[in-house]
Amino acid sequence: MKKSILLATVAGAIFATDAMAQDLSVCVSWSNFREERWKTDEAAIVGALDAAGAEYISADAQTSATKQLADIEGMITQGCSALIILAQDSASIGPALDAAEDAGVPVVGYDRMIDDPRAFYLTFDNVEVGRMQARAVLEAQPTGRYVMIKGSPVDPNADFLRGGQQEVLQAALDAGDIEIVGEAYTDDWQPANAQRNMEQILTQTDNGVDAVVASNDGTAGGVVAALTAQGMEGIPVSGQDGDMAALNRVALGTQTVSVWKDSRALGRAAGEIAVAMAQGTAMADVEGSAIFNSPGGNELNSMLLAPIPITQDNLDIVLDAGWIEKETLCAGVSGLAVCE
Amino acid sequence: MAASRAVLALPVCLLAGTAAAEVAFSDRSDALPVAHVYSGGWTHFVGGGVAIFDCNDDRLPDLFVAGGESRAELFVNASEPGGDIAFGLGEMAEVTAVTGAYPVDVDSDGQLDLVVLRNGPNLLWRGVGDCGFEPAPSDWRFDGGDEWTTSFTAAFEQGNAWPTLVFGNYVDQRDPDGPFGTCDTNYIFRPVGRSFGSPIPLEPGFCALSMLISDWKRTGAPDLRISNDRQYYVRNGREQMWRLDPLSEYGAEDGWPEMKLWGMGIASRDLTGDGLPEVMLTSMGDQPLQLNRGGGVMENAPFDIGTYATTPYVGDDGRPSTGWHAEFDDLNNDGLVDLFIAKGNVDQMPSNAIHDPNNLLIQQPDRTFVELGAVTGVGTTERARGAGLVDLNLDGKLDIVVVNRRAPMEVWQNTTSDAGNWLSIELASSGVNTRSLGAFAEVRLPDDRVLTQEVTAGGGHVSGAAGPMHFGLGIAESVEVRVIWPGGETSDWTPVAANLRLEVSPGPERALILEDLQ
Repeated sequence: MKKSILLATVAGAIFATDAMAQDLSVCVSWSNFREERWKTDEAAIVGALDAAGAEYISADAQTSATKQLADIEGMITQGCSALIILAQDSASIGPALDAAEDAGVPVVGYDRMIDDPRAFYLTFDNVEVGRMQARAVLEAQPTGRYVMIKGSPVDPNADFLRGGQQEVLQAALDAGDIEIVGEAYTDDWQPANAQRNMEQILTQTDNGVDAVVASNDGTAGGVVAALTAQGMEGIPVSGQDGDMAALNRVALGTQTVSVWKDSRALGRAAGEIAVAMAQGTAMADVEGSAIFNSPGGNELNSMLLAPIPITQDNLDIVLDAGWIEKETLCAGVSGLAVCE
Repeated sequence: MAASRAVLALPVCLLAGTAAAEVAFSDRSDALPVAHVYSGGWTHFVGGGVAIFDCNDDRLPDLFVAGGESRAELFVNASEPGGDIAFGLGEMAEVTAVTGAYPVDVDSDGQLDLVVLRNGPNLLWRGVGDCGFEPAPSDWRFDGGDEWTTSFTAAFEQGNAWPTLVFGNYVDQRDPDGPFGTCDTNYIFRPVGRSFGSPIPLEPGFCALSMLISDWKRTGAPDLRISNDRQYYVRNGREQMWRLDPLSEYGAEDGWPEMKLWGMGIASRDLTGDGLPEVMLTSMGDQPLQLNRGGGVMENAPFDIGTYATTPYVGDDGRPSTGWHAEFDDLNNDGLVDLFIAKGNVDQMPSNAIHDPNNLLIQQPDRTFVELGAVTGVGTTERARGAGLVDLNLDGKLDIVVVNRRAPMEVWQNTTSDAGNWLSIELASSGVNTRSLGAFAEVRLPDDRVLTQEVTAGGGHVSGAAGPMHFGLGIAESVEVRVIWPGGETSDWTPVAANLRLEVSPGPERALILEDLQ
């Protein structure tokens, strides 16, 4: 049975679907629920809470960091056994952790890092995403001239990704097998900016580029557009997110890899961890938890889920998961087994 | 100038309550002689300010407007008092790359001078009357630098004959590692006699988009607040407060909390009636309002006060807003200060709303604010930047000017039909500091509520005014006025009638000399 409560406003009334007989209630503070992608995560969280017989209470901060603080305080007042927080602005979420600590409510920081040891950090392993991107490109192009198209300079994940990429490429760089001939951040992760940066690098290098490590599918799209304009499409390019257009590019052979993070797995883990902590499990004792050394110098109890690199060899995974329709994946593709 | 000199003394009537007026505006953008656009690429993504001041001694506020890549323009106010707003085109040397401007009487000759901020060397123009300007004489020793200047504030420090000027700079475009994490240094210019000394670096700089010197603690020792853009300092930056003497930045030991914003504009005004200015900071998403609790403690206003204006209030765009110029003033003269926020996307930033309406937030008797941008038409969705609230046609009601990036400038005439009573006060001093920067003017209403305004130069988004202070009085027919002059001398409470335009200067024995300008 689904038990879902939506805290409509800070001081709003709570409408329960049945009598409040639950022992456990898990409160979830969303940063902006109008962003489509969180609906998948929510369904997975609710699924995990249903399985544990816990109640789901949620609030939507509608992009306001201030409203998020008020939401969380309001939910704590109403009664939470555990909190899951998708922070709008992790730099200003501190007072919410103070309130949770005062009320003895454990906190899971969801997807975006809350750099505070009082919150459990649950996300995908972004360093590993970077490693997977570089690994797939290096396998396809073990020598030559590389370009690194990074993410937004204001997003810490961009540097985690870049760090993972460097780990994998270091030996080949040291051996002189590959060299980095261009590197750029992508303002706001915009494909158009990635395309402009790639065009500039192609001009500077007189099209002397053999492979591109791009940090997500959006930037990969910009890169492939720039390459196509020069008739260079088909050289190895990485990405991540399992975007529909990117998976189609993988099938077409213009993108080598899209590292896929299954948000259903993240949501399920959040629900399970929140329930475990609500039942008294210490953060350090959560099954599968490990210490994460944060950029802020904190040791965070964390769980970093492993992503899956999707290449032409395993496109069946996203098809079987119902992530993408075969028609979309295979548009314009011929001669690929998964599309037959 | 037609003005009769008289000391007005009237009995104080005890009238309580406020006039509940439906605020209304009509679009008078056509009154501008040319359609003026703040233009340019990345080097003019920010900026787009307007300086509002009377440059020809006719008491009508004139406008100097930044143009970015296009030339800056001077719009000379030709309105008939009480009639429709009208403007003529002023004659002026062609200047481009202007981001904003602020009027200040630097040499205390009674004429306002103009500090012109640019992406490139800044200019200091000496006002010579009849809306004429000439470059600052070389013996002023003004160094315009060559930075990307995006903020400014000024104050007269104790004992100085000339003002202290502070210039805030954005990204250092010469740094090859830029633009991220390469915020330029800010500079403070202190006077040496009747000229400026060498610019003193104010480091670290965090891409300042607004700065304001204000005596926010009411100690007589004003501080310098700097609002900084997190977009480019990225991580290692913060909102800053500097002590002016000795020059030092507030830190955790002063109880100054670390705060990170996409800081674009500062508005400052007492809303709670305790004489301490509240502070509004524009940003992306939340537009935070901080309540001044005294003793240097600022507290975030509760979310339901209605000023956070996080996302657009019209349309279906749930993405965060981008706020620029913010300004407090009473737009319906009900005695409750309202708030205008100029909004607009940086350019094509997909994380933020593209059609982002300006906010017209009218304060209610319960002290919350209600959005009337859509109802009044003022909530247009161009990429707004600088702005100002000013009575352009001297009808006792504040009008609105808005400078837009990639779209023509707007002028909104206040047509509120049942606005309350009002008072216009311009402070004037002889000798140094003719505009009384640093003074506080207080108006006591019959119900004993005190409205307080500080005379400052700076803040907003590269936009500022030097002119009369406007007080909405509600139904009060007469009020009392008091001035705390720079240096701290406090006048007696002086009764005045409503609906007057007064020049107020210090008289003997704590008296005020009131000149009726109508």
